[in-house]
Amino acid sequence: MATVKIKVDGREVTVEKGLNLVEAGKKAGVFMPQFCYHPGLPVVGVCRICLCEIEGRPKLVAGCATGAEEGMSVITRSAAVREARAAVMEFLLIHHPLDCPMCDKGGECTLQDYTIAMGAAHTRFAFRKNTWPQEDVGGKLILDKNRCILCMRCVNLCADVAGKDEIAVLSRGEETYIGTVGGRMIENELAGNIADICPVGALTSKDFRFEARPWELTNVKSVCTLCSKGCNTIVGFHPRRNKVLRVTARENMDVNQWWICDRGRGQFHNVHDVVRIVEPLRRVNGAGRTASWTDAITEIASGIRETIARHGPDSVGVIASAELTNEEQFLTGRIFRDGLGLSNLDFPARPQPPVVYPKFTIEGDKNPNTRGARLLAGTSGRGGRSVADIIAAAAEGRIRTLLFLRGGPPEEFGDPTVVGRALDRAATVIVVDYATSPMTERAHWVLPGVSSFEKDGTFINSQGRVQRSRKVFTLRGDTREEWRILQDLGAALGVLPETDPSAELIFDRIARTVPAFAGLSYTALGDLGAPLPSASANVAVG
Amino acid sequence: MTTATSEPVLTRTVGLRDSHTLEVYRKHDGYEALRIALSKSPDEVIDMVKRSGLRGRGGAGFPTGTKWGFVPKAADKQKYMCVNADESEPGAFKDRLICQKDPHQLLEGTLIGSYAIGASRAYIYIRGEFAAEAEILSRAIEEARAAGLVGRNILGSGFDCEITMYVGAGAYICGEETGMIESLEGKRGWPRLKPPFPAIKGLFGCPTVVNNVETLACVPHIVRRGWEWFAGIGPERNTGPKLYGMSGHVVKPGVYEAPMGTPLRVLIEEYGGGVPGGRPVKAVIPGGASCPVLRGEEIDIPMDFDSLTRAGSLFGTGTPVVMDDTVCMVRAAWITARFFTHESCGQCTPCREGTGWLQRLLWKIETGEGTERDLGILLSVTDNIEGNTICALGDAAAWPARGFVKKFKDEFLQHIREKRCPLEGGSLH
Repeated sequence: MATVKIKVDGREVTVEKGLNLVEAGKKAGVFMPQFCYHPGLPVVGVCRICLCEIEGRPKLVAGCATGAEEGMSVITRSAAVREARAAVMEFLLIHHPLDCPMCDKGGECTLQDYTIAMGAAHTRFAFRKNTWPQEDVGGKLILDKNRCILCMRCVNLCADVAGKDEIAVLSRGEETYIGTVGGRMIENELAGNIADICPVGALTSKDFRFEARPWELTNVKSVCTLCSKGCNTIVGFHPRRNKVLRVTARENMDVNQWWICDRGRGQFHNVHDVVRIVEPLRRVNGAGRTASWTDAITEIASGIRETIARHGPDSVGVIASAELTNEEQFLTGRIFRDGLGLSNLDFPARPQPPVVYPKFTIEGDKNPNTRGARLLAGTSGRGGRSVADIIAAAAEGRIRTLLFLRGGPPEEFGDPTVVGRALDRAATVIVVDYATSPMTERAHWVLPGVSSFEKDGTFINSQGRVQRSRKVFTLRGDTREEWRILQDLGAALGVLPETDPSAELIFDRIARTVPAFAGLSYTALGDLGAPLPSASANVAVG
Repeated sequence: MTTATSEPVLTRTVGLRDSHTLEVYRKHDGYEALRIALSKSPDEVIDMVKRSGLRGRGGAGFPTGTKWGFVPKAADKQKYMCVNADESEPGAFKDRLICQKDPHQLLEGTLIGSYAIGASRAYIYIRGEFAAEAEILSRAIEEARAAGLVGRNILGSGFDCEITMYVGAGAYICGEETGMIESLEGKRGWPRLKPPFPAIKGLFGCPTVVNNVETLACVPHIVRRGWEWFAGIGPERNTGPKLYGMSGHVVKPGVYEAPMGTPLRVLIEEYGGGVPGGRPVKAVIPGGASCPVLRGEEIDIPMDFDSLTRAGSLFGTGTPVVMDDTVCMVRAAWITARFFTHESCGQCTPCREGTGWLQRLLWKIETGEGTERDLGILLSVTDNIEGNTICALGDAAAWPARGFVKKFKDEFLQHIREKRCPLEGGSLH
C-alpha cells in the first residue's frame, strides 16, 4: 500500500494513501471529533462534526469523507473549523431534550462530551422543540428519537454488518427519523451493538435501562465464553450490588472487530438469573446435606482411589468440559489422564448451526475452549474413550464413579435415557457446576464451581488465539474456581505434586511444559491475546 | 445587446398544433441534428458543444461540453445519460414547457448527448407532479422508438441507445444530481459525497452525465446550426438562447424565449408586460427560490450567469419572480425558508436543523414577535449552514434568507420595531 506524507495541524505523519482524515488525524495525535463516522461502518459524512480545513481549498471538508493525499496540510485549529464545529454542536442540540440526568447514556455520551468540550453554555434556540414518543424497536432496544442526531450508525450497522434492512431513515427535513418499517421489529442478533455505537442515548439497551449510571460500573476487559469465537468484551460490574449489569463489545481487529452478538451481551443473565450452587453438597439416599470443602475433597479423592484400587482405572469416568479454561484443561489432563491413567476422559461437543451475517459470524461450536481442551486434556490417539462410550459404559455398570466437570441438561451428554441409566447405576456421581441442573439434582456430590466472570483464566478460540478472561467478582458463598477444585483434588489424589496459587502461574507452567504453548506468557497475552505458535497448534488440533 | 426581436429557437414550434408529435418536429428539421451528429465522432460532437459555450441550464451554469469531456473514454464500461426533468424550485417552470410542447427536441438532445459520451442508456427523471408531461414524454419515446430513433442501431449508424423515463415521487432534493442518481437506483434520494463525481462513478457505479432538460434541448441546434451560430447569441461566456419563466407580479406570466443576457427590465416590461396596475417593482428573485433577491432598483442587469453572480445573486434557472410593493419581504423570505425546510433531505446536520430554525425566526419576525437579536441569530444561522453540507441545498436555503435581510433590512427592522407586519393584507397574506 502506497503511503503519503501529510500534515495535520503542522504535525507531519505518514499514512496510507487515501486514509480518511479522521483516522489520519488520530495518527498525528490530533483530536478529530466524530458522530457518524465509525471505522467499522460505511462513511456517510452526514453529521459534519469532523469538518476541517485543507490548505488551498476554499471550502471546509468532512474529514471522514476525505482521503489523505501527498503533501496535504489539514488544519483543525483555525477559527473557521472551530466555528463550523460549534455550529454543528448548536444545531444538534436545538431539538435535543438535554435530559442527561435521566439518560442511560449520560456519562458515556459523545454528544455530552463534545458539548462540554466545544459546545455553548446557552442555547440561542428559543422555540418549542420537536418531540417524539419513545418506541420499542425490537432487538432489546428502546428508541428515543428526541435524543437522536441521525448519525445513521444504527441503520448502517444493521444494513452493512448484519445485512438486514430492519431499521431505516424515514421522512425528511427536520422530521427525519429513524424507525422500523411496517411494524417489523429488529430481529438480527447483532442489534445490541447499536446501543454500544449510538453516540447519544437514542438507542439504549433494555437490559441496562435505568440499571445504573455508567460511572458506577467497574469495567473489566474480558472475553465472551458462549462460543468458540472468543469475542472481546467489557464486563460492566456494579460493585455495590455485586452484579454484572452489562456486557459490551471491545475492539479486537483479529477476532470480533467492534462487535459482539446479543447472546454474549446477555451472558450475565446465565450467571445471575439461575439458581446458584453456593456450597458443597453431599447427597445420600436422595437427601442433600451441606459438606465442607475439606470433607468433600478428601472423601471424593479417597472414593476415586478406592474404586481404582478395587476395579481398575476403567471403573472411573471423567466427563470434562470445554467450557473450562486452559489452566483447568491442563489440570484435568495432568490429574486424570497422566496421574490416574484414565482412558475414560472426554468432553461433550456442543455444536449448533453457525449464524452467518455478512460481516460477523456467530460460531457453531458453543464450547469456548474446544482447542484448549483437545490440546491439554485430550486423549485421542492415546486410547481415550468418547463421551458416548463413557456414558454407555456407566449405563452398563462398568463405570462406578462418574465425575462431571460441568452439569447442564442430560441431553448435552447423549441420549437422556442412557444418561439417566448411567447416573442410576454409577455408585458415585460427582458434578462440578455453578448452577443447579438435572445433573446436579441427581449427583452424590455437588461441588460449587464458578462462572467465567468469577475467575481468571485463558481460552483458545476457533482461530487458535489464546485470550484472557478476567475475574470480575466473587459471589457471596463458598464457591471455588474450578482450577482450585482440581488442584485440591489432584493433591488429595496424590497425583499433582505441584500447585500454583493463581491462574497466571498455572498458565506460565503450561507455557514452560506444553510445546504448543512455547513462548507464550500470561502477561504477554495482554488485553488482545496472542495466537498459539502456529505449527504445533495445527498438529495438535488436527 | 440582443433584444426581444431575435428569432425563437427552443420554442420555434411550441405554438403549433400537435407540436409534441414526431410529425411536427420532423417538419421543422427534427432529428436532422442527430443524423449529423452520428456522422461525426463523439469527440467532434463534444468539441462542438464545448466551443458553443453552452452552460448548464439547471442553475449551476457548468459548461456542458466540459462535463461530457470528464467521462472516461474506455469503451468497455457502461455509461449513462441522465436527464434532469425534476424541475421543482419555486419559480422555475421552463423545462416543463419543453416536456409538454416539444418532447422530441429533448429526446434528440438526449440521444446526441448519449452518443457523445458513449452511453447506450439514458434515463429521463421527471418530476412526479408532471403527470401530464410524463404521459406526453413517454408517448414521444414510443414514437421515436417506432421510427428507429431510439433503441438499436439508430438511423442505421450502429449506435444503440435506450431511453427510459422514470417518474419521481415528489422530492425537490432528487433534482440534485447525485440525489437523482440514488433515487434512480431505487434508494432514498440522498445526495452523495463527492468526489467521486458522477462522470467517474454515477448511476449504478458507472460514469454518468446528468444534464438539465433545457441544456439538452439546446444541443440539436448547436449541432445543426454550428457552434459559431450558438456562440454568437448572448454575451461572452454566457451564450445561447434561453427560456425565461416569468411569474409573480407581471401582467403576462409565462415562459419566454430570449437570448442569454437579456436585461431583466426588458423581460419584465416587454415580455411580462410590466407590473399589473403599474405598481413599482419592489423585488425580483431572478432565477428560482434559491437565488438571493434583487431590489427593484437593480433590474437593469443582463440576465446571465456572470452578471448575476457579480451582482451578488445567482442566475439559477433564469426564471424571475417579480414582486410589487404590496409584498412583505419578511413573509416572502419565510415562504422561501418554509420550502427549503420541507425539502431538506435530512441528511446533513446544518441543513436539517438550520432550515427549520430559519423558518421559525422569520415567522417570529413576521408576526411581530421578533427582536434585533433574532435578526442577528438569523444571519448567523445562514452562515452556519452555508458551505457546511454535502450538497448545495444547504447553501440554497441560506442564500435567499440572507439575501432578503441584506436587501431589505429596513423592512425587517420595521417589523421588529412596530411589532407587526407593516404590509398586513398585502399580496402574500
